[in-house]
Amino acid sequence: MIKVVDGNQAAAYGVKLSKPDIIATYPITPQTPLVEYLATMVARKELDAEMVEVESEHSALSALHGAALAGARTFTATSSQGLALMYEPYFRTSTLRLPVVMCIVTREMISPQTVWSGHQDAITVRDAGWIQIFVERNQEVLDAIIQAYRLAEDKRVMLPVNVCLDGFYLSHLIERVEIPEQKDVDEFLPPLELNHIKLDPDDPISVDPLTPGNLLTHYRKKHIEGLENAKDIIERIDAEFGQVFGRYYHGKVEPYLMQDANIALVAMGSMTGAARIVVNEARKMGLKVGLIKLRMFRPFPKEELRELLKDVDVVGVIDKNVSFGFSSGTVFYELKSALFSYHEPLMVNFIAGLGGADITKDYLRFIINYLEKIRQSQKVGREVVWMDIDREV
Amino acid sequence: MDGHRQGGIMKSIDKLKWLLTERHSIKNAETEVRDREDLLSPGISACLGCGAELGLRIALKVLGRNTVLAIPPGCMGGVGVVGYGPTTGAKIPVFFPLLDNIASMLSGIKRQYNRKGKKVHVLAYAGDGGTADVGFQSLSGAAERGESIIYICYDNEGYMNTGIQRSGTTPYKAWTTTTPVSNSYRGKPQANKYMALIMAMHELPYVATASIAYVEDYINKLKKAAEVEDGLSYIHLFTPCPVGWKFPPDKTIEVARLAVETNFFPLWEAEYGKIRFTKRIWFKKPVKDYLKAVGKYSHLTEDEIREIQQVVDNRYRLLKSLAK
Repeated sequence: MIKVVDGNQAAAYGVKLSKPDIIATYPITPQTPLVEYLATMVARKELDAEMVEVESEHSALSALHGAALAGARTFTATSSQGLALMYEPYFRTSTLRLPVVMCIVTREMISPQTVWSGHQDAITVRDAGWIQIFVERNQEVLDAIIQAYRLAEDKRVMLPVNVCLDGFYLSHLIERVEIPEQKDVDEFLPPLELNHIKLDPDDPISVDPLTPGNLLTHYRKKHIEGLENAKDIIERIDAEFGQVFGRYYHGKVEPYLMQDANIALVAMGSMTGAARIVVNEARKMGLKVGLIKLRMFRPFPKEELRELLKDVDVVGVIDKNVSFGFSSGTVFYELKSALFSYHEPLMVNFIAGLGGADITKDYLRFIINYLEKIRQSQKVGREVVWMDIDREV
Repeated sequence: MDGHRQGGIMKSIDKLKWLLTERHSIKNAETEVRDREDLLSPGISACLGCGAELGLRIALKVLGRNTVLAIPPGCMGGVGVVGYGPTTGAKIPVFFPLLDNIASMLSGIKRQYNRKGKKVHVLAYAGDGGTADVGFQSLSGAAERGESIIYICYDNEGYMNTGIQRSGTTPYKAWTTTTPVSNSYRGKPQANKYMALIMAMHELPYVATASIAYVEDYINKLKKAAEVEDGLSYIHLFTPCPVGWKFPPDKTIEVARLAVETNFFPLWEAEYGKIRFTKRIWFKKPVKDYLKAVGKYSHLTEDEIREIQQVVDNRYRLLKSLAK
């Protein structure tokens, strides 16, 4: 079935097809329509799930803790300030190894007061132990949610997953989306089996007692092993998804025209679409530019990025966020750290698209020209370039 | 003053009624529950004379094994009810919710069991800080949504586990480490949040105050709370703390009893907002008798005691006006 829907609707379809037991939500723009669509689906009995309409995001994720401990497949969604309020149960969701799936409709953090797009919210919680997948378009929103449940509930992973879709650029813009058949999804996504912890009077255990540091260290290491396992398993899940549904997303990172590239652009989220077009243009002009779409941000796909960038001279990273205190974007310095002691291409960071600012084709053309100049001169000059501020450099 | 100025004959009839009904139910309740299995480990490390521990043991005896228990951070978490490392303090499924998500976390458990068609008591045994302060929002939300959970607040009037700091239920002029006493600073400058009444105003199916000095009354209230299926039931349990309140550990029950006998902590219940007293105090004692038994009030002057009497009387009058 083909539908023309916005990202929020696409997400709602993805959730519906994944058949969660319990959905707990607190509505906050721009995710509001997402949960409204789900509420409507439940009210019409198109989706057999319990809606828990809580009084805050903190309670939304908390209700899912309880639901998962009683054996439920769960879903929630949030954005920016809601995610910030959620931080306490957010950290605990991953450290309890609960396979919750949550959409972050990514938005800028205040202040200054803003309600628009940006990756600052999701990026800021990157070290809280979740898996984070950033998607490019509305079809991928839907598909990634189904994949996320498979990944989260895999016994070797058993971790919560964020599907991050750009606020407004995806959540509120309309695209053609193919809605998979329920029976195919049912086959692809087996029912949840959650046995490592539970609250069940028929099988009483004490969940999460006070834990001494030497034992806690084991928990941390196993958690990181689970994240590492996710790197392989997402590839397998995505490949299988491709066979069943005919759409393949290259697992963690998607290379585009990278084979002979000497300049690489690294992008994440909806900006990747515009970047593809501009890279095509640059190729026509004879520039050897390639594009890397960073799809999985957590765990960070160090190995693939090293491999993809090993023959590249200049790398430009576009960050829709900033790292306060590191004075660059986050993806930029993480990529630099991943490449360190393997190879050292010249690297430049572009801070762009903050607070909903549009990353236009024009700006992407500027980026590619800037990188080409660096390639020719073999000099980086300014390492971090800010859109709308450093345009003339 | 206290609203107990009925005529002599009415008083006698009431007393007779009480002898025939309430007294009868005391015996039944006590004997029925006394010999049931204790679902808490004998080895938990609560302080001598802990009122909260007693309240929890009784609650679990009444509710039985078909219960999921949430013990948020606080005294009962600290003494090992959820366990330490590979050990556990309870014989039923037990979990440490966050201090501020107790009621919302339990909502998720209850919803999923309802979905599975399985009847399970979902119980919170939470301190006053997690209830009246940082967890209040999620509790009020769960109450408004009609989540069918049993929520017991064991009120020891402050953060006793972490060093006796003030909470929203610390009473007027009580000493704590964050409401100290000097010539100019006389303990807590504000009165306590009237949590039970606030919860009753959510028009819940069942709200009650209870005291560990009146076990039979507490048991009956637990039973009523356990029967509720159409919303949240809330019990505000008065649990004196010898360490934090500064009184000898063998006086816990006496102190709890005095709080009821002075109307400092009246016993009542409310069904869908309709309030009813469950313990008549025939000879009300002055609140001074209670204050003198508790060390955290030892700094009070006669004037200050009179002021507290006023606060207690006003509260009781309000309650009486609501009780029909």
